[in-house]
Amino acid sequence: MKANQLVRVITRTRIRIRTRTTSPFIRCLCSSAPSPPPGADAALKNVTKPNFEPALAELRRHVREADFVSIDLEMTGVTSAPWRESFDFDRPDIQYLKIKDSAEKFAVVQFGVCPFRWDPLSHSFLAHPHNFYIFPRQEIPGDGLSNEFLCQTSSLEFLAKYQFDFNKCIYEGISYLSRSQEEEALRQLDSLYNDNSGYSSSNSRNDADAQLVRMADILFTERMKYTVSEWRAGLLHEGNTGSGFRGSLNTMNQTFQTTFFQMRPALVLNGLSSRQLRLIKLVTEKDFKDLAYVHVTGENSVAQKLIVYTDSTSDRDLLMSEVKACQKKDSLVKIKSAIGFRHVIDLLSSEKKLIVGHNCFLDLAHVYSKFFGPLPLTAEEFVSAVRKYFPNIIDTKVLINSNDELFLLMRKGSTSLSKAFGVLCPPIGPGGTSSDVAGKPRVKVEVQVDDQRFSNWNSGAKHEAGYDAFMTGSVFSQSCRNLGIDFNSVLNLPQNEKLQKYINHLYLSWNNKDIIDLKTGKILVESLGSNNNTSTKRRNPKFVFSNTVLLWGPPSKLRAKDIRDCVCKVFGVGSIVSICHLDETAAFVQFSKEELVSDFLELKDSLEREKNSPVSILHPLSKILEGGFVRAANYEMYKDICGSSLSQVLFAEQAEVVASNPKAGVVKLAVEVDSYYPNELLSDSCMK
Amino acid sequence: MFFKRFLCSHTAAARRRHHHGKQWSVKQVTNSNFSEALPEIKACIFNSDFVAVSLQKTGGHSATWQRILPIDTAETAYMKVKDAATRFQILQFSVCPFSVKGSKVIAHPFNFHVFPRDELKVGMPSYSFSCQSSYLTSMAREGFDFNACIYNGISYLSKAQESAAKIQTGNLSPVNGAVEPSSVYSVADTIFMERIESRVKNWIRACKDSNKTEVADALISSLRKLVAGSEVFGSRPSLTIDVCSERQVPLVIEALKEFVDVVPLHVTAKGVGVQAVRAVLTSSKEDKTLLEKEIQDTEHEQRKLVRGFREVIDLISTSQRPVVVHNSLYDLALIHSKFQAPLPSTMDEFKNSLLSLFPHTLDVNHLMKEIGPFDKMNNVQAALSYLERRFSAPIDMDISNQAEEPENTNTHGHNVLRVCQLFVKLCSILKIPLEFPEGERITQLAPSLQRTSNTFSSKVHTADDDGVGIRSGNSEKVSTDNLVFLWGLKNRKSSRNLKNLICDSYNVLSEEFDVRMLDRTCAVVVFWNAGVLDRFLGMVEGSGGEGLRCARYNTYRRVCESGLWKADLAECFDETLDESETLSRTEAKLEESVIYWNDDEMINLDDL
Repeated sequence: MKANQLVRVITRTRIRIRTRTTSPFIRCLCSSAPSPPPGADAALKNVTKPNFEPALAELRRHVREADFVSIDLEMTGVTSAPWRESFDFDRPDIQYLKIKDSAEKFAVVQFGVCPFRWDPLSHSFLAHPHNFYIFPRQEIPGDGLSNEFLCQTSSLEFLAKYQFDFNKCIYEGISYLSRSQEEEALRQLDSLYNDNSGYSSSNSRNDADAQLVRMADILFTERMKYTVSEWRAGLLHEGNTGSGFRGSLNTMNQTFQTTFFQMRPALVLNGLSSRQLRLIKLVTEKDFKDLAYVHVTGENSVAQKLIVYTDSTSDRDLLMSEVKACQKKDSLVKIKSAIGFRHVIDLLSSEKKLIVGHNCFLDLAHVYSKFFGPLPLTAEEFVSAVRKYFPNIIDTKVLINSNDELFLLMRKGSTSLSKAFGVLCPPIGPGGTSSDVAGKPRVKVEVQVDDQRFSNWNSGAKHEAGYDAFMTGSVFSQSCRNLGIDFNSVLNLPQNEKLQKYINHLYLSWNNKDIIDLKTGKILVESLGSNNNTSTKRRNPKFVFSNTVLLWGPPSKLRAKDIRDCVCKVFGVGSIVSICHLDETAAFVQFSKEELVSDFLELKDSLEREKNSPVSILHPLSKILEGGFVRAANYEMYKDICGSSLSQVLFAEQAEVVASNPKAGVVKLAVEVDSYYPNELLSDSCMK
Repeated sequence: MFFKRFLCSHTAAARRRHHHGKQWSVKQVTNSNFSEALPEIKACIFNSDFVAVSLQKTGGHSATWQRILPIDTAETAYMKVKDAATRFQILQFSVCPFSVKGSKVIAHPFNFHVFPRDELKVGMPSYSFSCQSSYLTSMAREGFDFNACIYNGISYLSKAQESAAKIQTGNLSPVNGAVEPSSVYSVADTIFMERIESRVKNWIRACKDSNKTEVADALISSLRKLVAGSEVFGSRPSLTIDVCSERQVPLVIEALKEFVDVVPLHVTAKGVGVQAVRAVLTSSKEDKTLLEKEIQDTEHEQRKLVRGFREVIDLISTSQRPVVVHNSLYDLALIHSKFQAPLPSTMDEFKNSLLSLFPHTLDVNHLMKEIGPFDKMNNVQAALSYLERRFSAPIDMDISNQAEEPENTNTHGHNVLRVCQLFVKLCSILKIPLEFPEGERITQLAPSLQRTSNTFSSKVHTADDDGVGIRSGNSEKVSTDNLVFLWGLKNRKSSRNLKNLICDSYNVLSEEFDVRMLDRTCAVVVFWNAGVLDRFLGMVEGSGGEGLRCARYNTYRRVCESGLWKADLAECFDETLDESETLSRTEAKLEESVIYWNDDEMINLDDL
């Protein structure tokens, strides 16, 4: 029972580690997999760059016909620092900031999509699990910003434990552009091709002269001027062949080759440095009125630089505008094709299907930040933005925990996905073979992979996003049956009254059991079900944010016992309610009264001002404050620190950077969060 | 499962080998063959004169302005490198011990796959790391096997982390060697030793008794054990003897010498040093040697788990061989931060700390500059082929790992061989002798090498004042006082546009200054004349309103020191300035205020 033991949260990843070790199936890692295993253990439908187009076309059809679509994501990490994990003393706005940080920093490497359709003839659901490998490859030239993402070492180890194929992901993963990235790219394209329409403005020529200062440049320019004019003269005099010219130029390392471009004779420039090309461009523009320097993408998408002969100035302008239009079209095609995996998200959004996930708030944040745009600053804004794209979302974790009957089935234990799958879908999942689930008939789920159909499918590849999505959907369909939903009547799940209690309710953080309503953006104070599950009940003591002081500094100064001793000497025995550690360099001290917070901070300031006075040295608080090494602030500072885009591993280091750069990435919220959520949050007892 | 994957990697490797003309074979080392490779590389390092290293990392710089620019002084360059080295990760570490005999290079290349796996479950060596997708993609292009790296890469702990881990986990270590028996014992010491002796005697008797009398009441025997403080170490009985101070430890050891069957072990914990001595009772002489071997093995295992790949770094370090690197500043910073300790806050501290790790580091880039102005020759391959064309300096590479079966070797880690080759070629062109007479190695580097040793060059010529790298007409010395940073431009501009704009709006002649864009939001203006600069600053500040802002070099320095590595430089400037709210023009002189202005090296947004 260490007093300064960290209050750690079991992240989603860790829950999975614990609960799904039952059948470590060996997934074949070879990209060139041997013949697929026969029978029920058919492989998952993996989608990578080579088969993306046909798979997308097929998926369009399946999604259009689907009654709901379940999704699941695998990421490169969950928390960017230990103190970014979810704690009991995180206010909802802070929980959102932590989720936002996670979604912004980590990459999604696998995206499972599984459309489910009720087949009235066979009285079963037909599922089409898809497992997309995605990778944030930079497909179009950016603006100097690199595509960068964070990897949490433990998460990579976790993925490795389940034989995740990193090679497939990095080599063949499908890349994507978010909507805002696409807009930005198009905007850039426009400005690029509209701005310098006058390509031969006199302005640039003046500068060109100024640039020729180096002796080597001048010599090179003169030589090029001669070479080009020789070529031009050759064209004009010898007309059809130009053989004499070719002979003389071939001696120059085959740098120049004559070809035809848009029905005009042209000179291909090979193997020159970018500086040399720039000089050639200058020479061409300056000294040859009938020659044009162009930069084109050839047939096999190889960039080429050409000098093209034109009949007249107007012909040259015509050529230049043709080239420009062509380039613009090419860039446009490139941007469109860089959209990549976002087509799948656009499809889900435009079809307005019911989306089913398991504990999927973080998944949604990832979807938003990767495929729509930067995440808004507050949970309310985020929720209202998500609603526009996905009006109907169901979270099976909320469903199972909020429904008495389902929760009882779980035997009040863990509600992890694999456990739920094992309990609710016994013949498929490990666990049992009964054909009933709690007296309700089992929902049959058939699976179609490519053209094969299986009634008892089990790819066994847990933690493959595609398989997890399938499990989520199966859990949802059985839950619907247990709720008494009749699949044979016209199936409009989002409108089904039996689901209304659960639809669009997600756990903002599973640790705190705070449920956010996507329709209103409000946090639900009471639990959804009529049941009083012990696990959803909060335990004492209350955590009152405004009564709290945040302390950070060297670990040796932050022992809970020392803090309690010193503070109690100054403010009285009952002054501290609890002390919770964020990590070894930071702790929350909760006072019994709000005034004590300001009293404490003022006292600390005055002690530090008169650092060397006897009063300060002898004061009991000096023992922990240590003349400025330990810093203190109120709860709002915690929010500023969480809102920063930095992520130092130790909280104290993070706090120092944020505190010394007051504007550093701090999120200023317009809404006063406390007003709608008045200190209801209670906290686990943190003192051990 | 591993078997399957290995098959795949090999087919891929075989395919790649096909593409490569050269048949250099590099020994590939992962977790599974690390133990065998370690003595091998140890022998190679100690038998060679130099060690070349080359790293494959997950990223370089996050934004255009965060790479080292010609306007960076050694200090700001170090800040940038420090940030990158802390955030990015090494995935592949190639080491090539080599010697030179005539025109022949005898090289022993090893390629280690490294991954910061948390072997000890203590949250180390790395909680998380950054990846740039462009780096990963280009590694993929070279056929890098990410699965092999993540599944089977060798982990490590830095020196600093190891001492932290010892504190966290506590440790049992055997008593090494003979403890000097102190000749003088005080009375208290003698009494203490006698007490220990009698206690151990009782304990041994109790152990032997309980072995004999099987009918002994279990409760009584367990109670007796409790009273005697007896425990079990593996299958053998053991006794923990607490000590009050480190001084008592040799006393206990001395007292235990009486008992031939007892093996003493140190119990270290919680950073207090030796906390107790644990005596383990063995049944016979053979059993004793067996136990001693067992303990040694576990310790060895433990050390392997803790240090992992760092053993290789330690070997290079203790060998004192000169380390040959390309792009030294970043690579050495990475090595320091991953295997030694977190990077110190200043360049000087870093240099000192590194010196204690590697006494001689030789930067190939730096040597390149001796030959001529190849500032763009950052690519080893390009530099090699350049030299190939210009100079006749045939180098014969003799790769000594040929004995390996082909399955264990492939083309990864070839870069280290190129670094080797480039280094030897350069030295031969520069007539720097690399051969060491037997027995004389290391004590003296060739004078010309001595000069370049430990100068970290990156792209910039920052480090020293002796003028290396200045070539007339190419780069010019510019004082940092002559630089002004400019941001808040309404539209994105090229440096040419900006130059015209400045000429027009501020009435400055175009000969008096030059402009380069540092990223899409910020430009640097260099004035050849301080008077013009002051006039310009005055005008920009005076005009206000238009949103154009400017700052001098010290603010840039503060930006680099602040740790705010935002994507846009302008944003960093804004935040740093808001903090102080002053655009101080009378800031203290920089100690190192000379940089080299080089037209060629500046980035041009048009090129991007």
